[in-house]
Amino acid sequence: MKRPTTGRSRHSGGPNVGRPGFAWALPATIFFALFAIVPLIGVAVMSFTSWSGLGSPEFNGLDNWNKLLGDKVMMQSLWLSALLTLLGVVIQTPLSILLGVWAAGQQKNRAVLSAIYFIPLLLSSAAVSVLWRALLDPNFGIPGQLAGIFGGDGNLLGSQAGAIAVLTFVGAWQFTPLHTLLYQGAARSVPPVLYQAAEIDGAGTMRKFFSITLPQLRNTIVTSGILMVVGGLTTFDTVLILTKGGPGTDTTITPYYMYRKAFQSFDFGVGSAIALVLVVIATAISLIMVRATGYDKMNSAQEGI
Amino acid sequence: MSNTSRWLKRAVAASAVIALGVTLSACSGASGSTANSNRPENVIHVAVYGDAGNTVEQAMVDKFNATSKVQVILDRIPGANYQQKLQTIISTDAAPDVFFNWGGGSIQPFVKANLLLPLTDMIKSDPALESSFLPSVFNAAAIDGVPYGIPMRGTQPVILFNNKQVLTDAGITAPKTWDDLLADVKVLTAKGITPIALGGADQWPTLMWFEYLFDRVAGPDLLTKAIGGDTTVWDSADGKAALTKLKSLIDAGAFGTNFDSVSFVDGGSPALLRTGKAAFELMGSWEYSTQQTADKAWTEANLGYTGFPSIADGKGDGADLVGNTNNYYSVIKATRYPDTARDFLKLMYSDEFVQAQLGIGNLPTTTTTEKFLDQAADPAYATFQFNLVKDAPAFQLSWDQAYPQSASADMKTAVSQFFTGKLDVAGFISAMQAL
Repeated sequence: MKRPTTGRSRHSGGPNVGRPGFAWALPATIFFALFAIVPLIGVAVMSFTSWSGLGSPEFNGLDNWNKLLGDKVMMQSLWLSALLTLLGVVIQTPLSILLGVWAAGQQKNRAVLSAIYFIPLLLSSAAVSVLWRALLDPNFGIPGQLAGIFGGDGNLLGSQAGAIAVLTFVGAWQFTPLHTLLYQGAARSVPPVLYQAAEIDGAGTMRKFFSITLPQLRNTIVTSGILMVVGGLTTFDTVLILTKGGPGTDTTITPYYMYRKAFQSFDFGVGSAIALVLVVIATAISLIMVRATGYDKMNSAQEGI
Repeated sequence: MSNTSRWLKRAVAASAVIALGVTLSACSGASGSTANSNRPENVIHVAVYGDAGNTVEQAMVDKFNATSKVQVILDRIPGANYQQKLQTIISTDAAPDVFFNWGGGSIQPFVKANLLLPLTDMIKSDPALESSFLPSVFNAAAIDGVPYGIPMRGTQPVILFNNKQVLTDAGITAPKTWDDLLADVKVLTAKGITPIALGGADQWPTLMWFEYLFDRVAGPDLLTKAIGGDTTVWDSADGKAALTKLKSLIDAGAFGTNFDSVSFVDGGSPALLRTGKAAFELMGSWEYSTQQTADKAWTEANLGYTGFPSIADGKGDGADLVGNTNNYYSVIKATRYPDTARDFLKLMYSDEFVQAQLGIGNLPTTTTTEKFLDQAADPAYATFQFNLVKDAPAFQLSWDQAYPQSASADMKTAVSQFFTGKLDVAGFISAMQAL
């Protein structure tokens, strides 16, 4: 291939390919330090103080942490967060793989339908929650009008199971399109030559899906999984608007409990301690996921083609 | 940069976003004490809860600015989370000189932090600042006997509303006593109508039932003692009796079964009342304007209202009220122009103010209100409310405002758990004692 004689050409080839200097990372590093590391240190310090937002914070040693350890709602909130995250992954992953692979086809009707399907992704979580809250009103919403299907009194948000089901459903409704988009892109980049070879060998649709598409999507599954887990652990707005952590404290997940402590009860010390717990857990989980899936080695799925 | 650390970075970033919110507000609040000299010159800022009532506040400010050298600037703070926003700015240089509040527990932490100006001196120089208002209302903004607030909007007692048509069809009347109410509930449930609409998802409508039950059964003293720090009163025989009575009402099916999914704010519970799916709703006086906005003709023809039923063997008077006694203006200690603030507050008992408030449907609590009642947006409803307030031996400020804001979330959780049966009488008592 004939190389263009511009200044760029000296970068091509050799060990320096695609490795810009540290200066390129400076803006991102400064941004990260200023808006993530500094606040994080602030929160860590505040978790050892007692502060109501008035006056100055006062150090109170391990009081906040001791309070949290004995706090039933806090322990329950961790389980609830884990449960909601798990439900999100289990329900959204198969759905978005199937939809994404389907949407990857080049047919016109698929393009139109996927465009419609992506609409929830364009709405803010707050708007989505307000919308579903109105739709699920037991007397004037869907459950009230279709009592035959939903049965009972339409009290979907009145029981723990019902409220969790609603939160899971609304989360899936909103975020499946994002993950579908990821899978659509990934499925399109699977080299057609693989399918052609398989067809010559006599493989059917199912066999091609399980033996070619799925393995080729491995890295995308990990990416989307990590996004789902971190997103699930930090879910907040849907809970705030749809259930307010209720009935009682039945859907008070950890981020919502943090908000309640810090911004409703003005106990910023305990709020910060909860925030720190969340940071540690979210970091640990994504680290484990990256290691366990071998994603950090970033082996190409197309080696040998 | 290796991929591991890139992922680590992203994971940390994602988790730190949530931490950010806490710290940002921490930074803005931590700047500590304020000195007059840091505050703006020749203006005072008045912060109000932003809503439809701002028209009158703006009119008062315009009137005041026409003659004053130091100008008043009205800052409308969007309604949701007003208290949280206030708490964040009040100890900074950006704090308003005069601010809207609910009296009682909503200003108590500020008084404790030595941020508010006692109004004693202002009242000494102009006694009308105290004597122009109904005492039960004025006193709800006094902390340990020292006045800190001047009433500035309307009083909002909690009233038992009903759908007249539903009552007529069922052949019942609005209850005067607790036994009447239980009898009505029986008739209505037999007809398949939810007796009482309740916006349980919002939690504060549920709290209103506790406020009235405890007042009627145990008398208004119980809460005064509880807020004063004597939490043993929750465990008293009277306290238990109030809870048992409420429990029997819930168990009789008075609120239906799905109130936990119904919200007043979304318009759910008012719609239940308006469409005849429910017969009663216990709500603040703003129910009237809510229904009027939704359906004017229906409201005028069919919205009935009475005081809360009396309870025969209880210690509280059948005419006692609960609700929002009024909203108040309080002044911060750091203000540069306390005299301007005083002169501005004098407008709150002017005839013009009273007439303007009545015109938008509010019921001001000056001693002069009575003679302007015929100018109210709805004279019959205004007169009914004014007489309730005037005749009430006691007017209990809503619990979530009488207690400091920090207790509010746990209180509302306990209240809603008692209604769904997750907390029994003993569980509720220990939850209230832990506030």
